[in-house]
Amino acid sequence: MSQLIATLLQAAFVIAIAPFMSGIVRMCKARLQGRKGASPFLPYLTIATLFKKEMVISEAASWVFRAVPFVVLATSVSVAFILPLLFVGGKLASLSDFLIVGGILMIGSIFLVLGGLDPGSAFGGMGSSREMTLAALVEPIIIMIFATISFVTGTFAIDGMVGQSLIWAHPYLLLSVVAFLFVALAENARYPVDNPATHLELTMVHEAMILEYSGPYLAMVEMASSIKLTVFALLLSNLIFPSTVLGAAGVGIVSIATAFAYGIVKVVIVAALLALLETTIVKMRFYRMQEYLSIAFITALSGMVVAIFAVYAKIGITYYAMFGALAVFFVIFLFGHARSQAMLRYYALSSLAIAGIALSLSFIKEDEKTHLWIFALVTIAVKSILVPRIIRSAQKKYKDVIDPRSFLRPASSYFIAVVILIATFFILENTPIVGLVEYSSLLYASIALVALGLATMIIHRNIFSEIIGLLVIENGIAVFTLVTVQSLPLLVELGVFIVTAVSVFILSILSARIRELHGSADTEQLRKLTE
Amino acid sequence: MSPFITIAIIAVAAITAAALKKPKDILGSAWVLALLGGVSVFAYTVPVIFNPAARWSDDLWLLDGFSALIATMVAFVYIAATIVGVRYIGHEFEEGVVNAKDLKTYFSLIHVFALSMLIAVMANNALLLWIALESTTLSSTFLVGLYRKKTSIEAAWKYIIICSTGITLGLIGILLLGYGSVVAGIKGSDIFLISALANNAHLISADIVRWAFVFIFIGFGAKVGLAPMHTWLPDAHSKAPSPISAMFSGVLLNVALYAVIRFKFITDSAMGHSDWTNGLLLFFGALSIIIPAFMMLVQNNYKRMLAYSSVEHMGLITFALALPPIGAIAALIHMVGHTLTKSALFFGAGEILLEWKTTKTEKVRGLLKYAPYTAILFLLGILAIIALPPSALFVSEYTMFVNAFALHPVVSLLVFAALSTIAFSMLRSTISMFASGKEENVPTEMKQKWNITHSVIALQLALLVIFGFWVSTDQGINLINSIAKDAIYISQK
Repeated sequence: MSQLIATLLQAAFVIAIAPFMSGIVRMCKARLQGRKGASPFLPYLTIATLFKKEMVISEAASWVFRAVPFVVLATSVSVAFILPLLFVGGKLASLSDFLIVGGILMIGSIFLVLGGLDPGSAFGGMGSSREMTLAALVEPIIIMIFATISFVTGTFAIDGMVGQSLIWAHPYLLLSVVAFLFVALAENARYPVDNPATHLELTMVHEAMILEYSGPYLAMVEMASSIKLTVFALLLSNLIFPSTVLGAAGVGIVSIATAFAYGIVKVVIVAALLALLETTIVKMRFYRMQEYLSIAFITALSGMVVAIFAVYAKIGITYYAMFGALAVFFVIFLFGHARSQAMLRYYALSSLAIAGIALSLSFIKEDEKTHLWIFALVTIAVKSILVPRIIRSAQKKYKDVIDPRSFLRPASSYFIAVVILIATFFILENTPIVGLVEYSSLLYASIALVALGLATMIIHRNIFSEIIGLLVIENGIAVFTLVTVQSLPLLVELGVFIVTAVSVFILSILSARIRELHGSADTEQLRKLTE
Repeated sequence: MSPFITIAIIAVAAITAAALKKPKDILGSAWVLALLGGVSVFAYTVPVIFNPAARWSDDLWLLDGFSALIATMVAFVYIAATIVGVRYIGHEFEEGVVNAKDLKTYFSLIHVFALSMLIAVMANNALLLWIALESTTLSSTFLVGLYRKKTSIEAAWKYIIICSTGITLGLIGILLLGYGSVVAGIKGSDIFLISALANNAHLISADIVRWAFVFIFIGFGAKVGLAPMHTWLPDAHSKAPSPISAMFSGVLLNVALYAVIRFKFITDSAMGHSDWTNGLLLFFGALSIIIPAFMMLVQNNYKRMLAYSSVEHMGLITFALALPPIGAIAALIHMVGHTLTKSALFFGAGEILLEWKTTKTEKVRGLLKYAPYTAILFLLGILAIIALPPSALFVSEYTMFVNAFALHPVVSLLVFAALSTIAFSMLRSTISMFASGKEENVPTEMKQKWNITHSVIALQLALLVIFGFWVSTDQGINLINSIAKDAIYISQK
């Protein structure tokens, strides 16, 4: 009985709060953009007004057009019933198999697409075609994400996945969560995939499909998309913080109140973060959508690969190991890139991953906590922020876009990087240090970073890549420090950071002078002194 | 007196140079302050050298006979190079080769550079040593690239990239060594103290130490200029202003070698024998003698010739270190002798460069006629560097080869052949500069006067001969022996 009540209450809550969610996103966005913004409760009025209005329906429209709002709303509402949003183990929990949920969502999208096509207007068709392109790309990612989680948790039901607090225990599931975040943005037609606030021919996707709807039908479609947004917001936060979802069995007044309170808090926080995201990034061009979704796919895929690897090879994947792997991966991307800005970005990300290693180690070694935190903070400050800034400001003097030409194409660069990684692995296997070091996975990462840094210096024949290569080696040594002697005296550590910053400063001045005198940044030009 | 006084004086010197406006004031203050800084070093290093009881170490500094000797050498060359530099850079400033801003950069950085070297040799903390060694690279990069010409900037670039990479790899070695002591159960700040490492070396796992030494040797070896990591050295030496080349060749390489030697003996006592490190040192030492021999045969640039000679001498010192039991003594004598001779030679090369405005040997003609003092002192220097008696280098080379022929006859023969080649090529290019030549290859000014640089060179050569005789006496050999013991058994009683 209590399960039924819980399920009903959850659905009622989600339906009731959905317009508020849309409203609060709009308000936060307005505030962030310096406007006052409308009240977050405005969407309730809008929907109420729309229900009172008369509908204008094209003569060309068939029954499909009329059926669409009902189907779309029904799919959203049914998802609100099934998924563990406020309570786990509700009456319909057994239905929350991720394939079923995916299917229900797909029905909604397909009908929306049909609704766009049916009246035969130009915009509707355009929106539908775009939506189908996106849907075709999003669908496999969703399956991949939930397949990974179900592989780890041993259940197909999303209810069961949320019920076990597994995300923090298995760091690779974070990859799936990140992919889910990407997909959630795409599914709900938010930035950077779609702009929900525009009716601009060039950019709209979701809005184009529902352009022909008016009056109560429009209200239903709007309501459906609000519900969907709320559902995704709650589901995402539940995956990350599973302890905030209460059990449906034996639900009482107190637990209902707590669940509602949690729900409101989550909705407000997610809405605020979404608004922040939408004010800081821009919408991507439609033709770059496949890049965005490819990143999501690769993230989801790597989550799955690591999960399978970890389970079958019976290796406990730890946070520091994951961050170590990330640090190396970013350097591999850096290795294959030719644009200096991209290289700097990947360098900054790699340094960020190293700060992540320090942070995750701080939870293992309690007595070193403050020291590791300081290390992480200084790493972020110096290597992720200060160093890229120094290099950029030195480059700004010379406006010409410097591309660090490498004598290898990206594909073969990646190949070399992989060869280096394998070589590092086998060389280290035969050294006696590996057995001694407590965190040997990090040792591999550090030596791999050093080797990749050296290779960057050799393969890219450019002064800029030599700087980056040196910095990557330095990063490798930072990891090495964390692995071996964890407790460098703080002053010495600061000294090392200062040395890094100063050498970057000197190198960028010097590289600016080289460009001034030689007119190019190619180290092939530096061949005058051979005798 | 502690090294902090020196740090304060030299910091004041660097700030003074940066703060003063008029070039004349900068030139005037630079050598006074350098003299003050250098003498402050002598004040606490010289007693340590001559009195074994005065040797001390704490958490920050390690002042035994070996580090005091190198620090004295650094301070000496620092004073000499600043005095010569005041004339050299002052002359170039008058001629408009360098502008006021470059002059200011030069005289602020030269102090920082010297200070980094002093800290590097006196540091007891291996990481402080590392930071100081890296800052020698960072502070001297703009000194190498002082002339804003394509080739100078290129030399500076090669210098900073190769040396920074090398020293960064050296850091891995130091960290590994520290890790080895953590594994061995050594606690607290002792894990990076050189004196503590030496005391506890027998506890540290030999495998870790072996790997650590490979990194340290390759990394710091790049800075020493050992072949095949020497490629930056001829470029940097030939393109830097001559006083800076003198500091590079005379002391910077020795400072880096100092670090290698410290870690070599720690490695030896950790492994229980010295065969492995000796093999490494022997190989790279011999390589660093043989490769420059070929390069010097075809060399037509006298500053590059001197630079290759530095590679060769670093090779000789490394080679000597690999020859137990008296190799360390020969190496120490050779270090002192090489420092005195090579810096004098670079000062002389600077004088030639000022008059002839070229570093090409074939374009320098009539040296004896137009610059007799420079010519004679330069020739004496060349004779000293190819180890003709009564140069102190003869004493050291004689000592090491007596030992080497007994231990490694084949390698010694190869090295000996290489040394003869080097002697031949150095004499050939020097003598060719003495010959008279076309009008265009001689300077316009007539007859040069005796100047301060000549006095400095003459003083150094005189010191070299006196040192050569003195180490042959009982008292001298005993002192060198006690310093060599300090190098081997770092502050162990």
